[in-house]
Amino acid sequence: MTWLLMPEQQCGSETMIYFDYQSSRPVDSRVLKTMLPYFDKKFGNPSSLHEIGDEATLILEQSRSSVAEFINAEPEEIIFTSGATEANNLALIGYAFRNRGNHIIISEIEHISIHNIAKYLQKNGFEVTKVPVDFYGRINIDALKQRITDKTILISITYASNEVGTIQEIPEIAGLCREKEIAFHTDAVAAEPQIHIDVKNLGIDLMSLSSNDIYGPKGVGVLYIRKGIRLNPLILGGGQEFGLRSGTENIPGIVGMKIAAEIMSQEMDQEVATLKGYQQRLIKGVLENIPDSYLNGHPRARLANNVHFRFDGIEGESLLLGLKDKGISVSTGSACSSKTLEPSHTLIALGLLHEEAHGSLQLTMGRFNRAQDIDTLLNVLPDVVRKLRKLSPLYKGV
Amino acid sequence: MKSTTYSDKVLDHFRNPRNVGVLEGEDIAVGRVGNPVCGDLMEIYIKVEDNTIKDIKFKTFGCGSAIATASMITELAKGKSVEEAEKITRKDVAEELDGLPPIKMHCSNLAADALRAAIKNYKKKENQPEPAKTEFMKITGVDRFKDGGVYHKVVDINRLKDKRVIILDRGEDSVSRACSLQKISPRVIFITPNQRVAFNRNFEERLRKARVKILFESEVLEIIGTKTVEKIKIHDLNEDEVYELFADAIIL
Repeated sequence: MTWLLMPEQQCGSETMIYFDYQSSRPVDSRVLKTMLPYFDKKFGNPSSLHEIGDEATLILEQSRSSVAEFINAEPEEIIFTSGATEANNLALIGYAFRNRGNHIIISEIEHISIHNIAKYLQKNGFEVTKVPVDFYGRINIDALKQRITDKTILISITYASNEVGTIQEIPEIAGLCREKEIAFHTDAVAAEPQIHIDVKNLGIDLMSLSSNDIYGPKGVGVLYIRKGIRLNPLILGGGQEFGLRSGTENIPGIVGMKIAAEIMSQEMDQEVATLKGYQQRLIKGVLENIPDSYLNGHPRARLANNVHFRFDGIEGESLLLGLKDKGISVSTGSACSSKTLEPSHTLIALGLLHEEAHGSLQLTMGRFNRAQDIDTLLNVLPDVVRKLRKLSPLYKGV
Repeated sequence: MKSTTYSDKVLDHFRNPRNVGVLEGEDIAVGRVGNPVCGDLMEIYIKVEDNTIKDIKFKTFGCGSAIATASMITELAKGKSVEEAEKITRKDVAEELDGLPPIKMHCSNLAADALRAAIKNYKKKENQPEPAKTEFMKITGVDRFKDGGVYHKVVDINRLKDKRVIILDRGEDSVSRACSLQKISPRVIFITPNQRVAFNRNFEERLRKARVKILFESEVLEIIGTKTVEKIKIHDLNEDEVYELFADAIIL
């Protein structure tokens, strides 16, 4: 199938400029169109034996094949879930409760779901160790080796940071796990729209994906489970998804993820090239035009859609509000924008001080950004920063 | 309520803050308070004549509500007697702003605290800096990481390439070392227990120009790691707070 026509799609209102793709992505209109009949016309349950039930079974299996192809897996290695958070839960808890040994290693810069699942496993008698990263957000492989014991059963390291965009050395980490006979899980949500992932070639055992991050609907995700890896299910019922995830399948959502994966396979290279151009312009424009500004994360090994800055002397939430007034939607690692009032654990793990983590600005781009969005941001940002610095008792520059 | 759901009045004070700046002179009192949990720091400057707050200015590092509350309290306090101004509470500030999101209530506390601190300083005329500390405390873990990231005087500088390095204030030598390290390392943090680097303003300028991060009034308590240095436990003497900072090496 070909998806040559790029839709004229606007995100949000016409005047809004959206730089927060890591939080939420619009569903591609081509995906939405394909999903709609599965709500009212092709509404069958794959478990039913009649005609529309058969139709549902067929599209479910076609979807499984499409998603498998997207990451070079086999169809029977794909389990549909309600999203990447559920996939993370199934991977870690399902694996820990099934397999002998009691030690699990995660990194300091995992998505919050991995951190909280690790806490839950700790409460249930498992030992969890966190591996530190360097100043650029790369896993310290020596420190990872030092943490492996003969009780270690599972290592979970994100493919690329959802905050600072640093891409991990996955082949090395997967190879190390293989050598030590430890299962390797990776949360690939931030990476999936940017990197052609080949699970077979890399030797990944478990991998979480989200539909929304490739412009499919929310409420759908996937756990890739390599053949031979055994898990306990978390949701019991009618035995759907090879007994690993019961509950009637979300067919419209799954169809959405299928189309989203097919489009992404075809358009990723073009998209990444465009995003890289935007990224270079943003990094250059900000660092050159705003004094005392810094890039967080890795200068090269980073996702094409991610830029992450910090500015001396200002706080992220006020920066976010200042840009909001100009119709620009962004994100920050500042505590004041979070529910817990804690600054981003990822930025702290890089070795940033609290005041620096508070002064951060995260811009994540995507399919529907245009070159003029970058112009507007580069025009507006220096003034917003200058205005806030005038108020700041911490800023010593001019 | 979302943290960014602010009243129109809060947004107005955020967009057009009143009385921003500093006051200078013999007769000025300053109140400086910070809440490290939220990442706020606030300074309020007052000029008192005939027991009345004649002029008031502020500077704030903080979120939208921190800026709005500071701006609002300067309006509330201006022209009031010292006694009246002292009685302004966080509730008064929040009410004048048509309310704040519940999670932000402690931020408005900060504005009232800063004003009270300024008034206290005005009353006591206690604007002299405290005598500086000169000695570092004993650091736990120094011996454990002798070959794993803890360095004494002599350093093969290339071993620290791309590492996050902590340098303790040992006078001019340590300042020069920090400046040269910054050229090969993305992250150099200079830690001094004093309010000045080696009691010398020029050193501070040199470090700033080299983009070395300076932590004033801080001391290192402990070095943490598996086999090599991974974290440093730091005591903020000013806030009396202990926190951990991720780092790869420390030069004593």
